[in-house]
Amino acid sequence: MYLKLKKSYFDVLDRFTPFLVITTIISFIIGSYFALYGSPPDYIQGDSMRIMYVHVPSAWWALMSYSVLAVSCTIWFITRNPIFNLVAKSIAPIGAVFTLIALVTGSIWGKPTWGVWWVWDARLTSMLLLFFLYLAYIFLWQAISNKDLASKISAALAMIGFINVPIIKFSVDWWNTLHQPASISKFSSPSIDESMLVPLFIMAFASLCFLITMFSVRLRIEFIETRISRLRQKIYD
Amino acid sequence: MKSLYDLINRDLKIAFFTSSNFLFTGSFYILVVVLIPFIFGSDSEQLRVIFKGIIWISISLSILLTLERIFYSDYEDGSLDLILQRYNSLEIIICAKFIAHWIINCLPLIVILPFLSLLFQLSFSDIFPILINLVIGSTGMVFVATFVSALTLGAKRTIFLKGIILIPLLVPFIIFGVDPHSWPILIALSMMSFVISIYASSYGLRLYGE
Amino acid sequence: MKKLSINELKCFRGESLVLKGISAEINEGETYLIKGSNGSGKTTLLRVLSSLIKNYNGTILFDDKDIKDDLKFFQKFSFIGQKNALKENLSVSKNLKLWEILFGKKIDVNSLLQKYNLNTVIDKDISSLSDGQKKCLSLLKLKLCSVPIWYLDEPFVFLDSKNRSILVNEIESHNQSGGIAIITTNTELDYKSDGEIIL
Repeated sequence: MYLKLKKSYFDVLDRFTPFLVITTIISFIIGSYFALYGSPPDYIQGDSMRIMYVHVPSAWWALMSYSVLAVSCTIWFITRNPIFNLVAKSIAPIGAVFTLIALVTGSIWGKPTWGVWWVWDARLTSMLLLFFLYLAYIFLWQAISNKDLASKISAALAMIGFINVPIIKFSVDWWNTLHQPASISKFSSPSIDESMLVPLFIMAFASLCFLITMFSVRLRIEFIETRISRLRQKIYD
Repeated sequence: MKSLYDLINRDLKIAFFTSSNFLFTGSFYILVVVLIPFIFGSDSEQLRVIFKGIIWISISLSILLTLERIFYSDYEDGSLDLILQRYNSLEIIICAKFIAHWIINCLPLIVILPFLSLLFQLSFSDIFPILINLVIGSTGMVFVATFVSALTLGAKRTIFLKGIILIPLLVPFIIFGVDPHSWPILIALSMMSFVISIYASSYGLRLYGE
Repeated sequence: MKKLSINELKCFRGESLVLKGISAEINEGETYLIKGSNGSGKTTLLRVLSSLIKNYNGTILFDDKDIKDDLKFFQKFSFIGQKNALKENLSVSKNLKLWEILFGKKIDVNSLLQKYNLNTVIDKDISSLSDGQKKCLSLLKLKLCSVPIWYLDEPFVFLDSKNRSILVNEIESHNQSGGIAIITTNTELDYKSDGEIIL
């Protein structure tokens, strides 16, 4: 199906981008203030806990991005509207980066807390597998030269991966409780103090703005690339 | 069903004629297992624990390394075109691939396992639960590998990419496979991946024709 | 009268229109050539005709039945493409054994290979054969099933003049028994055909 990608759809993004950038920067500044000064250090972990303010939102948005990816692929699969294909292509690298940030910050959090760089905690391990799922989607686009075929196959794999995400989560959780019955995961604090919730939500909002900004930039790029390749085909036809 | 039997027969013949016959897959497993004491030392107690784990690594490795052989080798030389032409039903082709691939790559390990376990002073009753899990888990893994192979027909011969797609999908089988009491969950996983695989593989094969 | 009618066939590959409204009527006993430059869609057309590609506009009728509706259409044609369906690391005889399974009949290896004078290579590995010999082997598939339609994708490539004339004879006898042959080519082929589709 040859659906027209109207330039007007994407001009909207252009107009919003400066606003998004400013919101991102401001909310990061506010969030950082609260995260670094405005909230108390943890009773046990001290100041090293503060990395949670980066780690937790990254993990949330990494998972959310994969859902957006899978849903967008499903809608593309059904309607074949090329916009959804572009949305999926754009969100994949961003989601992958957020997953990587979550993994790295999780690792950094672990070092002062447990003295090791990595533990096979249920959530970190699920995050690692999620990172592989993202990589698989991104590399599949590079590996298949016929772009139409590539979009169909990567959409199929994204949907299958999405079905697998709860399975992986379930099995990794189950595996984790089996092998580490005694230790409580340090990542899930049973009750978070109010003073920590505020910076957490501000940082979450800031990360979300960052995600949306980067996503709109990428979407624009993908759109321009698609238009260029279509125009190129027209010239040589 | 004659066509099912024919296709399985063909794959088995190919495996038998080329170097990937049962003797070689069997030797692969034996050699991997033999490496264990050299790596981990000869403490029998520890070796027994490790052996139960290495079984799953070797079966996953086997599935990973033979991923190409499921559809890609037929695609490369044009036999897939011939098969799609002669057999109208995609489901029969896929089921034949499941069975043939399992027989060639998983059955040797299951047959050899009792003998290998003797090397580690494990009795048959010790490894019987592992054997059951291995049978169920390996069928599930074969289903997953088949649809990954079918969907990635368009991609060039990159084991890295296909491996990255395959490994997260195999993890649930491995996690539940190692625990002897999880065989119901394994059966559920295998059945689910069977259904997904039939749809996904036939989609992949249809896409290939385009 | 078994004829193959193609009506206004349009096909997209990705986002570009590859087949732009092709129409042809091929009666039984006729041979048609599909001519076009590289990349003009000749192989795509053959793949549509052998119902490997199902996503097209227009209709294709064989024997007055739409090939999309005809569940047994796959038994009525033989497609010899540019890939040979031969396993490189196996010998000729072993490959023929595999073909026996796919075609469901015993193959008399010697008489089959005699056609293109290939008896001497019966135990050689495919990888050690020349391209022309592999092509001749691939063309032997035509003798393994008797079907009304032959789709041949660039069959004369790699063949020397002797094998070329053998193939021409094969096609002519196929035509005489009422069969249709559709051949793609991109060179000026010196072949007296009953019609041409130019892409």
